[in-house]
Parts: sequence; structure tokens; C-alpha cells
Amino acid sequence: MQTISKHYGAGENYIEALQNISFSLSEAEFLAVQGPSGSGKSSLLNICGLIDNPSDGHYFLNGKAVEKLNPRQRCDYRRHDIGFIFQRHQLIPAMTVFENIAYPLFLNGERPKQIKPRVKLMLEQIGLGHRCKHLPKQLSGGERQRVGIARALIKRPQLVIADEPSASLDHKHAHASLMLMHELNEQHGASFIIASHDAFVIEHCDRTVDLLDGRLESLS
Amino acid sequence: MNSLLIAIRNIRRDGTRLISTVLVIAVGLAALLIGSGFMLSTYDALQEIAMRAEGHVIVLDDDPAPTLGGAHQQLTLANWKIIQDDLWQDSRVLRVLPRARFEGLVSNSDNSAAFFGTGVDPKEEFRVHGPFLRTTDVLDPWLTDQDTPDLLLGSVLAQTLTAKTGDLLTLQTRRSDGQASEIVVRLAGSYHTGTPEIDNHTLMVSTDTVSTLLGSSQISQLSIYLEQPEDSMAIKQLLQSQYEGIIVQSWDQRAELYDKVKAQYDRIFGVMGGIILIVVFISISNTIALAIYQRREEIATLGALGTQPTRIYANFILEACLIGIIATSLGMLFAYTITNAINLAELMMPAPPGKTEGYAIYVYISWPHYLLTSLVLITIVVLASFVASYNNARVNIADSLY
Repeated sequence: MQTISKHYGAGENYIEALQNISFSLSEAEFLAVQGPSGSGKSSLLNICGLIDNPSDGHYFLNGKAVEKLNPRQRCDYRRHDIGFIFQRHQLIPAMTVFENIAYPLFLNGERPKQIKPRVKLMLEQIGLGHRCKHLPKQLSGGERQRVGIARALIKRPQLVIADEPSASLDHKHAHASLMLMHELNEQHGASFIIASHDAFVIEHCDRTVDLLDGRLESLS
Repeated sequence: MNSLLIAIRNIRRDGTRLISTVLVIAVGLAALLIGSGFMLSTYDALQEIAMRAEGHVIVLDDDPAPTLGGAHQQLTLANWKIIQDDLWQDSRVLRVLPRARFEGLVSNSDNSAAFFGTGVDPKEEFRVHGPFLRTTDVLDPWLTDQDTPDLLLGSVLAQTLTAKTGDLLTLQTRRSDGQASEIVVRLAGSYHTGTPEIDNHTLMVSTDTVSTLLGSSQISQLSIYLEQPEDSMAIKQLLQSQYEGIIVQSWDQRAELYDKVKAQYDRIFGVMGGIILIVVFISISNTIALAIYQRREEIATLGALGTQPTRIYANFILEACLIGIIATSLGMLFAYTITNAINLAELMMPAPPGKTEGYAIYVYISWPHYLLTSLVLITIVVLASFVASYNNARVNIADSLY
């Protein structure tokens, strides 16, 4: 990312959410983003995850400039190259555990014959093989988050965006989730950008970006 | 990934809303099917009346009938026996009945009344009217070889004349040359149609009687009855190509009442159908819009995972289709059950304008019609769900997720 800025509104309502943010992320790196509420974490995650475009600056994903894509192109990038882990897991309620994990592969046009063994393997890796036909409402919070992580990683994305992945979990489950992310990261080689307040999570990241009022305070 | 199964799970998530939407569509469809079933049976009854009264194909002379002293003696068709003989060779033709229209005065020793008379083939005429012309107190046989010819009076005209079966009456009229003519006839019975204009003022005699009275073997029209009414156009075209100096009409060209009632019913049921379709459109739009509103986070999640909006619209349209199929199936079941109950109950409609008798309500059950109407409704449902999802499902992912 090079001198990324994001502003909203105009005149009296003008808000500068991000100002000249620059950093890079290596392959398979874990990067933590931290900062108080309103510091610009969500805006940065939206831009990194191609949910939103920056107002200024350059964003290169795997060497390609992606800062001026239209919504359809951003959607295509997200489908192929980016995985999301949400604070409240955001599993699709009408889909079973198997279907939730399989969904990104289905979107990418993979055939059921290819999808089934990959999802089964992933279910074994996250320890939920026996839950594959259950709906999200039948799972515990920790189980749901594991399904969310599996869904983000099943398509082997280049980048995973995780927004407060441990916020809705107790310490035991938060630790387990982070370990799972590391374990799967070792197997799949994705880079992670994790927004978190959790010191335990930040400790386990390779580097940390500190944001304050939309500015990059430090990069350690 | 079974999209159908996922759609079924989704529509089951809000059972109350599903039931209310399904009921609105089902009741609307049932109302449409019952209303249109009644409309179709009425059309068929009116068609039947028109066909039985005038025939499927009518042959007339192309010369206008002359007016004589204010009376219309309409005996203009001369070569009818040739046409009749030719038509009897055609296997599609069931009956060829001559009709001779004339006017005059009918009287007995006490009363007299003006009449519109028809000379008919007495052996065949009363086989074609079915339940739409009922004869009463008819001498058996009413056509005899005696010197005094027989006459049938409209039931009210018989009452007006206080004439009883077996009485002798006098028919007076004018011939085409202007000379007065009269004949004594025997009242052989009366007939009743339920239409006051006919029952009050008409009578029937044989065409031979008309021929004797008016001194002409010509008739007014030939009414042709066919095995299959669908052959009307073919027979009409055949006659037009074979004979000159005649006008050939199909039954619908003379069915004024049928046209008027059909036009009126088409308007009534058109408005009713339009209202029901609007209600269905609003109901399904509302259901889908509410579902979208409640599932904004889910839609945003799907978007974040890389689902194109068109696929999200398609999911909602699939759900709406399922609701439509459930609702129309239920609607058809409602309509079928209620229709059978109505038909079994033999409920009576009041007498329509121009009639003295009501008639039993009969509602048609036509599966092609049921399926076609359901298909129209499902199309409305798909359209409504597309509009609702297109207008509401384009959520801002960032706003809805974080």
C-alpha cells in the first residue's frame, strides 16, 4: 500500500478516515492492525479486502494495481483471492456447516467431485467432521468461528482479512482459533491482516500497524 | 451445493410471514379460478343457447325482406330444399331446419293478439332446443294429418288468449301481394323459454302451414346444426363457395346476447383479476423486501465472499418461486374444493335482465385453465421478487458488516 487515503462526505461533513497509509505485506505474513475505536481500522480493512476503494494512493495486490476497480471487478478479486473472517463469524444460517465451507469453492465454479474431498479434509482439520450436516444455529460460538476460518481458507486465498476474530470468544476458544489460523496458514500460505484489540492475538502476529485518527502511528 | 434446499430452508425461517403470503396468493388464485370458472360456464351456456336457437350456421337470402302494410313477411329464401338436400349428404351435418318468419294476428272467439310466428319442421325442431325451450300440455302427436293444422303458442300468449290445448284459433296475416289471408289452426300445446319477449308474443306452426297461409314455399332461413360446432367456419365457406344469392352466417354473428354478456363479464373479471394480480404483486414484493431487510448482514457476507448481485437476486427469486408454487398449489386445491361444493349445492342465480327465471350456478373446473392461471401468478411472483430484490438487495457491504 502506498500513501492510501480515504475520506467521506464534503464540506462540514468531510471526514478523513485514512491519511497516507503505506505498508507492505509479505507472503504468509501475519499483520496485526490495532488502534482505538474511530482510528480507521475498519476503513483500512475494507480497502485491503477490496470492499471499498481508496480515495487516493496505490494498492497493489500480488503486483497488480487494484485501487480503481469497479464493484464487479472487486467482487471477482474477493471471490478468488481474498478470504474473510468476521467478528461474529457471519455464517449463512440456511447453509449447513459443509455448505458454508464449500460455498467459496462453489462460487469459483469448482465441481462437486472436487469440492467434497477438500471440504471433508478441512472439516477434519478443524475437528468438525461430525458436524458437517448441522446448521450454524446448532453450533457453539467456538465451533462457528472455526467454520468461519475454514470458509475463509478453503479456496487458498492470497490474503485473509480477519476483523476481531477473537472478540466474541472466550480466551480458550480465542487461543484455539488463533492456533487454527496459524496451522492453516502454514499449510495454505496465505497472508493475514488481523484487526484486534486482543494482546494475545497481537503477540502472535509478525508485525503490528498502529493507527490513530486515520494516521499510521507506528509499524513494528 | 443444493440451491433449492437452501431456498427451502430460507423460506422456512419466517413461518408466520410465509403462511400469510401463501394464504394471500392462494385465496387470490382461488377467487380468480372460481370467478373465471363461473364466467366460462356462463359463456358456454350462452353459446349453447345461441347455437340451439339459431343453428351453428345460418343461410339467408341476400335480398332484404319487403315490408307489406307494416308487417314483415320474411320469406325470401327460395332454393332452400336444394341446399338442404346437399347438406344432408355431409357427414358433419346433424340437422338442417327451415324457419319461416311471419307476423299477424291470432284470435279465438274471445281474444286476439299480435304475434311473431315461425314456421318450423315440427318433427325436428324440438330436438335441438334442449332445456332452453320446454313444451307443456302438448298433444301427442302434436302434428297430425288432420285437416286443421296444429299450432304451438308461447306460454304467456296462450294465457293472454285464455286458450287451451285442443282449442281452435285463427291466424290472420297478409300475403306478399298485399291480400289478407287467414287459416284456422288447432292449439296443440305451448312452450316456455323464460324470456318474456318470446313467451308473450310468439307462436310456431309447421312450414306447410306457413306455405298455405302465405301462398309461398319460400322460407326465411335455414338453420344448420353440426356434429361439431368447430366445423362452422368450414361449412360456412363451403356454402358461400357453392351457392350464389345467399348470405351465410355463423352462430356468433347473430348471438347478440352472448356478445353483450361476454363483454360485460370480461370487464368485471378483468378488473377483478387485475386487482388480485396487484395484491399478489404487492404481497410478494413486501415479503421479499422484508426478507432482504432482515438478511442484510447475510447479503453483505455473501457479497464479501465474492457473490455477484445477480446471484443474490436469483436466490431471492428462487425463494419467491417456491412460495409461488406452494401458494398456487394450495390455491388450486381451495378452488377445486369450493367449486365442487358450489356445484353440489345447486345454488340459484337470480333471473338475469330480460329473463323470468334464475339458473343454477355451475362453475367449471378446467385443469389447463388452472395451470395457466397459476403460471401467470407465478410469473407475477417472479417479477415482484425481481423488482424487490433489485431495489433492496444492493447493500453496502461495509455498512452492513462492520
